[in-house]
Amino acid sequence: MRKRLGIISLFVILFIAFITIWSFSYQTGREEAYIPMENTSSTPVIPSETGVFRRSEFALDYSNMPIDKNHERTLKTYYKNRAYHGAPPTIPHPVKNELSMGGNTCLQCHHNGGFTEKFNAYAPVTPHPEMENCRQCHVPQHTETLFKGTNFPKITVPEVGVNNALQGSPPVIPHQIEMHENCLSCHAGPSAPKEIRVTHPERINCRQCHVLNNKETTDIGVFKRQSIQ
Amino acid sequence: MYTSLTSRRSFIKKMAVMSAMTAAASMFPGIIFASEQKEGLPEGGNLDWKKAPCRFCGVGCGVLVGIENGKAVAVKGDPNSSVNKGLCCVKGYHSVMAMYGKDRLTMPLVKKNGTYVETSMEEALDLIASKMKDTIINHGKDAVSIYGSGQWTIPDGYVASKLFKGCIGTNNVEANARLCMASAVTGFLTSFGIDEPMGCYEDIDHADVFVLWGNNMAEMHPVLFSRLLDQRLKRDVKIIDFATRTTRTSMAADKSILFKPQTDLAVANAICYEIIKNGWVNKSFVEKHCNFSKGLTNMGYGLEDNYKFTDKPEKISFEEYKSFLADYSPEKVEKISGVSAKDIKYMAAYYGDPNKKIMSLWCMGMNQHSRGTWINNLVYNIHLLTGKISTPGNSPFSLTGQPSACGTVREVGTLTHKLPHGVVMNKEHRDFAAKIWDVPVENIDPKPTYHTVEMFRALDRGDIRFMWIQVTNPMVTMPKLKRYRDGAKKEGRFIVVSDIYPTPTTDIADVILPSAMWVEREGMYGNSERRTQYFEQMVEPPGEAMSDTWQLIEVARRLGYKKQFYYKKETHIEEIYNEYRRHHDNKKHNMAPLEVLKKESGVLWPYVDGKSTQWRFNAQYDPACSNGEDFHFYGKPDGKAVIWQRPYEPAAEEPDNEYPFWLNTGRVVEHWHTGSMTRRIPVLHKAMPHSYVELNPNDAKRMQIKTGDMVKLTTRRGEIVLPAAINQRGVPAPMQVFVPFFDENMLINDITLDSFCPISKEPDYKKCAVKVEKA
Amino acid sequence: MPIKSYLAHSHEGKKQELIEALSSLENCEVIPAENKDLLIVVTDTEGKIQDEILKEQIEAIDSLKLLAMVSGFNTPKNK
Repeated sequence: MRKRLGIISLFVILFIAFITIWSFSYQTGREEAYIPMENTSSTPVIPSETGVFRRSEFALDYSNMPIDKNHERTLKTYYKNRAYHGAPPTIPHPVKNELSMGGNTCLQCHHNGGFTEKFNAYAPVTPHPEMENCRQCHVPQHTETLFKGTNFPKITVPEVGVNNALQGSPPVIPHQIEMHENCLSCHAGPSAPKEIRVTHPERINCRQCHVLNNKETTDIGVFKRQSIQ
Repeated sequence: MYTSLTSRRSFIKKMAVMSAMTAAASMFPGIIFASEQKEGLPEGGNLDWKKAPCRFCGVGCGVLVGIENGKAVAVKGDPNSSVNKGLCCVKGYHSVMAMYGKDRLTMPLVKKNGTYVETSMEEALDLIASKMKDTIINHGKDAVSIYGSGQWTIPDGYVASKLFKGCIGTNNVEANARLCMASAVTGFLTSFGIDEPMGCYEDIDHADVFVLWGNNMAEMHPVLFSRLLDQRLKRDVKIIDFATRTTRTSMAADKSILFKPQTDLAVANAICYEIIKNGWVNKSFVEKHCNFSKGLTNMGYGLEDNYKFTDKPEKISFEEYKSFLADYSPEKVEKISGVSAKDIKYMAAYYGDPNKKIMSLWCMGMNQHSRGTWINNLVYNIHLLTGKISTPGNSPFSLTGQPSACGTVREVGTLTHKLPHGVVMNKEHRDFAAKIWDVPVENIDPKPTYHTVEMFRALDRGDIRFMWIQVTNPMVTMPKLKRYRDGAKKEGRFIVVSDIYPTPTTDIADVILPSAMWVEREGMYGNSERRTQYFEQMVEPPGEAMSDTWQLIEVARRLGYKKQFYYKKETHIEEIYNEYRRHHDNKKHNMAPLEVLKKESGVLWPYVDGKSTQWRFNAQYDPACSNGEDFHFYGKPDGKAVIWQRPYEPAAEEPDNEYPFWLNTGRVVEHWHTGSMTRRIPVLHKAMPHSYVELNPNDAKRMQIKTGDMVKLTTRRGEIVLPAAINQRGVPAPMQVFVPFFDENMLINDITLDSFCPISKEPDYKKCAVKVEKA
Repeated sequence: MPIKSYLAHSHEGKKQELIEALSSLENCEVIPAENKDLLIVVTDTEGKIQDEILKEQIEAIDSLKLLAMVSGFNTPKNK
């Protein structure tokens, strides 16, 4: 009995020793494998500027892409599922999976776009693929009817072809750019509404020629000199 | 009524079209009719397109100006111009609108009893001439001065220099390029002995790596930056943004590296240290083509009146240079500059890699620097040590900010020490200029007088009594502005301002002359890449407005210099240009004949045997090379370029407890120079209506400042209140702020410091200490 | 002063030819569809006779397959 107990306790001690050594080596192994997180990018990101150059790697593809006349989007359909211009568009199709973050569902089509047989259309490209909780802003429409009528005034949407100061001069940007700083996502590629598809996506630095027109927030009038005395 | 009938008819026509379209759409769903994109565009009309260089920056894009009924109504990029290949930026596309502001000056205005009275041009010019005569009699010839501009056309600057230096006999000729390009000039002269870049824009098409030294190119030189982006799409080149502030350029770059203000000096030396340490020196190139030199250090900052400095260069050996660099190992420099040793080695590796062609680009960041000449030298050092210079794609490239800073100020020589060919201190050069100018050589004073900052100080002190300011706006651009504004307003000063709009500078004028601008007259500009471009007169100037050239000629004649100013009204630009060309009649600087300029979209000098010279100092491309070797740096007597030993020294005023922030100033893409033109273009004004102060988001959070809040900036010179901008156009590093200088209603230069590079005398607008408070 | 609009179909591949032919006629405007071989033609003439002549001219064009009038208006001459 005593002998047996001795053997058992020996095994217990060996087992405890094994556990201790194993967990110690496991811990140190983990420590060694841990690489301290360096702040790799010391450069801050400027929200209003950064988007312009996004997707520019596709610019040459965009400019070489033939236009698929049969599946073009128009500005009219573009505005159709927006409450006002700049509002997040509603989802005009059934959603694939209600319980999913955008990364697994929406972005499969809306990250880079492409033709979908099911809807017989090119998927519009999102200007902000880094925001994955798509459904916090974009909701499907499950009914055509209203709960009660609305007096919400429809504001006039920016038009095409009337934003040039001079003949042939680059049009100003007639809309605000928050959340859609990336010009190419809406203005280039097969899903771009045909009226606003840019003829020169390869230029990339869009805002060197196309500047904001801030009159939409408040009209600041024409520059007048003030006396400085 | 006829009108209502036509409108009714057009209405019916539209109805007819509409019903046809509806019918068509019902037959063919999805049918699209002609280009909805063109809807609403004005009719093409019969525009007459004429070529000119753009009015604005130093890139020198070729533009085509559309003329209709005697008015300039449209602009497009000139597809024949090798500069921009048909592309412009937003300023260029709207440039013609700068001619049609409602408050355009059209009549001369003379100040009488405190108010401005319209007079005839004759009367105004008579008054100017008689004031000049009186001033010379009572206070001497060095009491009259002219302050011009890198926006002067070549003929403007040429007649100004001829009148003041050749005829009157004073070296009081300066131009605002002193505030923007002087360090580039002294950089070239000290390193190579001859001004202006050895390469050209075509380098962009060959280089594999671009390092932008403190240069927000995406906003400041957008069309050239487009060429970089274009190359990146086609060839996968690398763009490295090396700056003190995060900008649009940083967003586009492949890598963005931030350094603490002024420490670019240390980083450049550290790159050289790495190049030598790793054996990346191109030994045969350095042995054959380079000398090593050192100059004086602890030069001061020029803050006191009558400050003088002359460098004393001394030759050193490669070993001495190497031991000097021992203080600049990447690890040591990391502590000074805040740039990690890894990043320094990263840049050095690109510079050192013999298989990578590399271009360094810079503009105001390196030039408006209290050690501007040094940092220019140091970047040339990198290219000289590795032999990456004067060959396609290997190019240290100094960009300019004004359309003719090179053409007029640097080539014509409208700076106090300069002549069109050479300097006033050199007797041969004086003899040469006097002969062409048809004046006695004794007229040309061998002693330079005042550089720009000192010229305005002299005006304040009363040493200068008469100043004629043309095509520039010093009452917005001078650093420590308040002193110079108060000085200019003092009793007994007579100021003439030639401009096209009222500005803070016309506010201090005794006589305001209305000028004809850009294509309202004939002229030439010279851009960053030695390209001279001609433009004809396309439209009539408004009212009595007159070209700056002709204003000067009229006054010169009234002063009795009819013989020297013999030019005929109809052909004076041609006559002046042909006379000017004689100054540069040699292989190193020959200018193209006018007929060639009229035909081509600009030509690079030296223009030899009917050909532009794209890469100077390279025997393969440059006929002026004569030493039988591959390269010949013929600007220096021994044909060798100089690698300079230049240390890191701190800025004139660095942040302390009382003024804890750095203040940096600069531009935005929409506005050019002081905004006197671009702010009168509605598109640009609406895009960028006023100035602002950019803060780092963390600083803003700590101080509870958000975009739009008013912020008070205080320096030792004064204070100013501006709206804050956080995370907008740019993001400064922590404890730094940035303010654009274009806004005459928020004059940031009231509080900047007038320290300057002792060699170039160019002020440092990028660095002074400031206190930031929520207002 | 009649104003009329038509839909014009071209023979296959001859759309450009038809556009050019129609554009060369006076008092005749052409709006081509971008993606179909179909044009909208608007005629705007001084009077009935001129209108008929113009219509004959249009119908004589070789590349024209079919011309169908969609709408017609007449504005009184003096008003």
